[in-house]
Amino acid sequence: MSESKTRMQIKKRMYFVLFCCTLLFAALIIKTGYLQIVKGDELQKQAIEQQTRDRIINSKRGTIFDCNEKPLAVSASVETVTASPAEIKANSENISPETLANGLAEILALDYNALYEKLTKNTSYEIIKRKIEKDEADRVRNYIHENKVKGIRLDADTKRFYPYGSLASHVIGFTGLDNQGLEGIEMVFDKYLKGSPGRIVSAKNAAGTDMPFKYEKLVDPQDGLNVVLTIDENIQRFAEKHLETALIENKLLKGAACIVLNPETGEILAMTTKPDYDLNNPFYIQDEQIRLAIEQLMPEEREKKREEELRKMWRNKAVVDSYEPGSTFKIFTSAMALEEKVVSLNDRFFCGGSKRVGNYNIRCWKAGGHGSQTFLEGVQNSCNPVFIEVGARVGTERFRHYFEGLGFTQKSGIELPGEAMGIFHSPNYFNEVELATCSFGQSFQITPLQMIAGVGAIANEGKLMWPHLVKQLTDSDGNVVKEYESQFVRQVISKETSQQLCSILETVVSKGTGSGAYIKGFRIAGKTGTSEKIPRGNGKYIASFVGFAPADDPQVVCLVIMDEPSAGLYYGGQIATPVVRNIMDDVLNYLGIEPAYTPEEKETLESAVPNVVGKSISESKTILAGSNLKYRIEGAGNTVISQMPKAGIKVNQQSTITLYTEENKTVTMTIVPNVLQKSVVDASNAVSKADLNIKIVGAGSAPSNGGIISYRQEPAAGESVEVGTVVTVEFRRVEAGE
Amino acid sequence: MKKGQIDFQFFITVMALLALGLIMVFSSSSESARHIFGNAYYFINRQLLWAVISVVAMMALSKFDYHRFGKLSFPILLISGFLLVLVLVVGEEINGGKRWINLGFSTFQPSEAAKISIILFFSYSLSKNPNILKTFWTGLLPYLAVLGIFSGFLMLEPHFSGTVVILGIGVVILFVGGAKILHLAMLGVPAVVGGWILIFTSEYRMKRITAFLDPFKDKLGDGWQIIQSLYAIGSGGIFGLGLGRSRQKFLYIPEPHNDFIFSILCEELGFIGALVTILLFAALIWRGIRIAMNAPDTFGSLLAVGITTLIAVEVIINIAVVTSSMPVTGMPLPFFSYGGTALFAIMCCMGIMLNISRQSVQK
Ligand SMILES: [Zn+2]
Repeated sequence: MSESKTRMQIKKRMYFVLFCCTLLFAALIIKTGYLQIVKGDELQKQAIEQQTRDRIINSKRGTIFDCNEKPLAVSASVETVTASPAEIKANSENISPETLANGLAEILALDYNALYEKLTKNTSYEIIKRKIEKDEADRVRNYIHENKVKGIRLDADTKRFYPYGSLASHVIGFTGLDNQGLEGIEMVFDKYLKGSPGRIVSAKNAAGTDMPFKYEKLVDPQDGLNVVLTIDENIQRFAEKHLETALIENKLLKGAACIVLNPETGEILAMTTKPDYDLNNPFYIQDEQIRLAIEQLMPEEREKKREEELRKMWRNKAVVDSYEPGSTFKIFTSAMALEEKVVSLNDRFFCGGSKRVGNYNIRCWKAGGHGSQTFLEGVQNSCNPVFIEVGARVGTERFRHYFEGLGFTQKSGIELPGEAMGIFHSPNYFNEVELATCSFGQSFQITPLQMIAGVGAIANEGKLMWPHLVKQLTDSDGNVVKEYESQFVRQVISKETSQQLCSILETVVSKGTGSGAYIKGFRIAGKTGTSEKIPRGNGKYIASFVGFAPADDPQVVCLVIMDEPSAGLYYGGQIATPVVRNIMDDVLNYLGIEPAYTPEEKETLESAVPNVVGKSISESKTILAGSNLKYRIEGAGNTVISQMPKAGIKVNQQSTITLYTEENKTVTMTIVPNVLQKSVVDASNAVSKADLNIKIVGAGSAPSNGGIISYRQEPAAGESVEVGTVVTVEFRRVEAGE
Repeated sequence: MKKGQIDFQFFITVMALLALGLIMVFSSSSESARHIFGNAYYFINRQLLWAVISVVAMMALSKFDYHRFGKLSFPILLISGFLLVLVLVVGEEINGGKRWINLGFSTFQPSEAAKISIILFFSYSLSKNPNILKTFWTGLLPYLAVLGIFSGFLMLEPHFSGTVVILGIGVVILFVGGAKILHLAMLGVPAVVGGWILIFTSEYRMKRITAFLDPFKDKLGDGWQIIQSLYAIGSGGIFGLGLGRSRQKFLYIPEPHNDFIFSILCEELGFIGALVTILLFAALIWRGIRIAMNAPDTFGSLLAVGITTLIAVEVIINIAVVTSSMPVTGMPLPFFSYGGTALFAIMCCMGIMLNISRQSVQK
């Protein structure tokens, strides 16, 4: 080959080499451009994640107070263990991730494998264990110190604590791991309670120390606002105490609910559902049988069932469950009829035990019927045919008008999650027969909350108020940030009708089916209700009673709903009235409402035993006579040395006070007789025969005494007590009566 | 020797790359220098000193007639071959490889000498026997044997990237020098098989392959380096974080002033900076091939092609590695990566290139 030919070939081949280089360079430019421009943001994000240390400073969650500033939910300081895997890697000469995982797993009772995986992730922030108490945190701190651990931190965190445990659990609700509200007020007011967390973002190198240039941002946390409820912890406690007792005594299979409302403002003073749960341990199923049943399920079903049962346990019956109100609804039918002036108190009706409406024969709850009665007696008797007739006079259109006016077709808008709306007939299917059943509270459903708000309107001069639970929001210094005023919704009936109705309902308690709720001096008004659950005929009932007091100036409304009683009695007049009575008794006394006695009541009034110790016998006789009390003298002395009952104890008038006149005279003991299942007269006789004094509570104190039997006594039968001791006997109505 | 002008564009490109390289060495090394030696200037001071020496050497060699290397090429080959054996005996073991000989004042990689000696020997010998490559057994095979022996020594260190470069330069010079395409193509078969065996017989190389295929699988282990490199490159975006503002150099990328210096450049100077750098290298290679084409004789042509190929292979492999376009292998970026003797060797080559350009025959 010639020299020039060789040079030509060399040149050609060099061009080829140049061509190859150009191609490869172009490819590298494209690859670099792809990484920097197309993938740039994504890679930069990941890079920054490893380069920065982003620590969250939790904000302090606001406190939930009752209306008297008693804390119902507070945030306590705890600590959360976090890790920076990059720093752990950088420090692995000092302590290997394996050793570290071992040590921490032991202290924190965590699974080694899961922990090891977290500690070796390529991230700069991992949460190891949340919300540990101080002693556990101290152990971690010691471990970090002793083993020169880097990259494990303890961050301040807060944990929700509920000082009253299960009290008002369905109202307050609870929070989850991230302090987020999961139920109740905690959930609905989460955005106010949580505040906003702060954060520190700082740059760090792979060794975990800070970068030389400033790269730090601090955002201060904002504490959450406090929520002040309308709930009064005392009233809530009264309601829960008596409802809990009723739950057990009546073996309520589906639980019970109670709401106490201030009718003038719409403020809810107490709201409870039983059974309840422990807010400090909300994921623990309280019912042992259910717990055991879940344990026995297959693992895959277990979680599902557990969640289902938890949801059931957290369910606020008072707001979320609707029910057929039954006879309590007759309050509203009466209101409509009186407001429309289609009935007057003395209008006569006849109940033959059933009434024909269209093609149906609708029966009265009382077999054989109530016979001839006035409208007033019809209300007292809770007679269905009377109300069918009255409802027919009101008519479908007006009935629907009032029904809507009372708020039964809308959610009340209470500050709780999951409020139900109720179910009512659509206008096209609301005819004669439907109207008849609706008139006595059947064939539709409303929620307990709607019911009590409606009764509140009746008690509050016909003004429907918005039922609400939150009074105000305050900041950490206690300044009011937002006030939730009482809201007037609408005038449902006139003031006159309201007053008329209050007196009618008062007679239901003093003379009718509601006598179990009678409290001397407090003028309780109310209406009983019993509805058989659908499908009918299974013997499953909801017993209820709604009452308010005092009848002439209602301050408190109380509704009690008892779902599926299974201990024998099931009428609202039998089992729901005593619960409301007991709650009302506590609440009215607590609110300091002065009793106003009728002349009738004054005759049997209790009086406080005066102090006669140290006085002469004759002097004592005069004093006791002034208090309408009898006496019995023990011993032969002239001066009273001690007395039984002691001064201040309230006893019925005409009770006997034993006066001891001799030093060291042994007190006479007697055995408490069994006075359960007795009439008022029989019980009184048995008690005085044993030289004891009786205190009659409940239906027994009402003017109408028919069908009333004692069902509780204190002290219990068989106990040995001093002569003259007061035996409290509680009576209830056992006569059937809706 | 004809006295002419040096290729000024080539010279400017070299000086630009050198300057940019020094800036990047300083920017990328200061943090680890501070961390290790407590002195941010530790690496840059040394590199600057070597740069001055290298520029002097380059200028001197640009005046030294390259033809005078012709007669020396065989002895140089023998000496570098000896050094490759020597390093296996007295070499300092760093990161599992005996690649360095400690000269007392500095360390030195015999592979650098081997690369240059191959270039010199191949180009001189081929220019003396223009038609020798027409035959396989007596022509091509002896050259392949030399390559084989050198590669063998390098693999014993082991020095995989050095081996690749030596083979690359050798094959390109043989190709340009007139080897038959068929012969070279036939070489492809044993090369592929050999490469395969090399990879699969070594757990260490195997790991690098799997880390390349899915670096995020073992983020903190084998994938760490390449992921950190990708984070750096990606963080740069189009305009970069600004000179000296790399975050990845803060101990995330191990020895950021060495093999992964291009990643830091990408992070600080963005795609613009990366593009400029790659284009500077492209310009260098283009001017290098031009010098080769205009060289006064075949020796000069092949010598220039060899040197240009050396730069091209190293640049392509380095950038391909840091952009995760190929498995990780320890390849420095010429002019950029920290290392005095390597810089010195490259600059000497540049001196030779300048001398060839001085003697160019323009048509
Ligand atoms: Zn009747």
